[in-house]
Amino acid sequence: MLSLWLGAYDQGLAYASLALGTYLTLRVLNFADLTVDGSFALGGGTAAVLITKGVPIPFALLAAMVLGSLAGTVTALIHTKLGVNDLFAGILTTTGLYTITLRLMGRSNIPITDLNPVINLPDFGMGDDGRWALALTTVVLGLIGLIALFLATDFGLALRAIGNNPSMARANAIHQGLGLTFGIAAANALVALSGALVTMYQGFADVTMGIGSLILGLGMVIIGESVLRPRSVAKALLAVVVGAILFRLLIAIALQLGLEPVDLKLTTAVLLLVAMSLGHIKLPGVNATALADGPDAAVPPPQDEAQSAGAAQSAGIAKAAGPASPGEQP
Amino acid sequence: MSLRVDKLCWGHAVPGGGWRQLFANFDYQSPTGEFTVVIGSNGSGKSTFLNLLAGTLRSGSGSISLHDQPLQRLPDHRRARRIGRVMQNPLEGTSPGLTIAENLRLAEGRRRAVIGWHGLRGIHPNQADRRRYRELLEQLGLPLADRIDTLVGQLSGGQRQTISLVMATLGHPQLLLLDEHTAALDPKAEAMVMDLTDRLVQQLGTTTLMVTHSLSQALRYGDRLVMLHEGRILGDWNAQERQHLTPDGLREMYGAARVRQTD
Repeated sequence: MLSLWLGAYDQGLAYASLALGTYLTLRVLNFADLTVDGSFALGGGTAAVLITKGVPIPFALLAAMVLGSLAGTVTALIHTKLGVNDLFAGILTTTGLYTITLRLMGRSNIPITDLNPVINLPDFGMGDDGRWALALTTVVLGLIGLIALFLATDFGLALRAIGNNPSMARANAIHQGLGLTFGIAAANALVALSGALVTMYQGFADVTMGIGSLILGLGMVIIGESVLRPRSVAKALLAVVVGAILFRLLIAIALQLGLEPVDLKLTTAVLLLVAMSLGHIKLPGVNATALADGPDAAVPPPQDEAQSAGAAQSAGIAKAAGPASPGEQP
Repeated sequence: MSLRVDKLCWGHAVPGGGWRQLFANFDYQSPTGEFTVVIGSNGSGKSTFLNLLAGTLRSGSGSISLHDQPLQRLPDHRRARRIGRVMQNPLEGTSPGLTIAENLRLAEGRRRAVIGWHGLRGIHPNQADRRRYRELLEQLGLPLADRIDTLVGQLSGGQRQTISLVMATLGHPQLLLLDEHTAALDPKAEAMVMDLTDRLVQQLGTTTLMVTHSLSQALRYGDRLVMLHEGRILGDWNAQERQHLTPDGLREMYGAARVRQTD
């Protein structure tokens, strides 16, 4: 069971960088960037090629980030210089990236199973999962710190203004084209890093591994925000990472309960739909005010004894007669 | 001369075909520190003139210069460094998801290229920035000094427009453009924003153009009153000459101009 939790934690952290990149584009810049589907696979493919050629892991990760940022730059330039809609700009780049990643990899799948990249780290008696947990926690906490610091500078503030109110940003002399380009490039560098980390963790890169990355990242962001309801940028970044871990944990539990791996994508989509619908679905008989006032407020005050008993029974709390067997139910 | 407009031309296509030449060889000059109020009926070219000055509309031909430096070839962000602007909609001038202090910080940094290395120097707004903004709002007599860490989205329309106005005057702009900036406010908020406008313009000495439909504002504020009609200056009065004008007199001029246009 510990292995299940730790494995989900590790995978969540490997995907956390994807969620952070999605947060930057969608939440900070208000830019729906579909490039992430391509840059995730690009990052994974780059890491796999370089690591199998013996390049040290830090350099392989850095190369993945550089290529990811270039992919983001292309999308940003298509959008800002040619005036192409954000979604179309991202789709164009992602379509092109499929070929580029395939050319880079030479084939559609590269295994790196003979590698134990975190071999020199202590494992706390938990084997490879423990080593991964240590390495990934360090990387992700470092990323959160760096991004939080960056977003607190004038540069970061300007990016937040571009996403929040472009009209205000324009009036205050903020170079929106440059800001968007930098932000989208940085976000895709994070996404490519995630692709590389996931590749290393799962032991292979596949050219199709990026499909659905944007929606996956968005789901992680929404789950994290729903659970922690952050009120500051730093807490929002932490919430995004928590969302990534929770998301992978839910997937792990579903698999443990017997879900066929072939049904994983559909399950993921349903899970994300539920996460996105939080706050938009009204449960029958329960209104928003009652929920806001706490669970007790949803139960109407009893008018008389008979009604009180009825209300208690309907709430499933009338246990005075003892538990009834299913056969005794009318 | 602070603002100089020479032979400005601008027109636009009209629905159903055809072309409307709104400005044809339009000339305008304003000395440094002059506060000009611009009035005119709908479609007279008031807001278009301000948009052409701000660069949100590009002119067909002619020249616009500020302190003898031509503006037209400057990219948007570099032109905006020299021009403060408050728009009609209180939602446009501020970022609702940022705090008052963060909005003021961005406006204060108007002259710096924040997208770049300059923007990475330190965490802002820091304690010193907050203290400075608090003092500024206190000096201006605004009851927002103790709310600088409040999200601007939580403020009323009048308060947001007040912050927009303060932002537009931060960073020492050479030209201040106010486009019906009190039109969406209730009378109390309008009086507060106009009082602040007058004080800020007098205090900073910034060359200012204010477009308004309010004739009472036109007859009360500014050093000069200009009436536009169909892209032409129909009337131009200094503060002394303006004393002889009345709202009814101005309305008659509007009406006469419309009649001449129809004829």
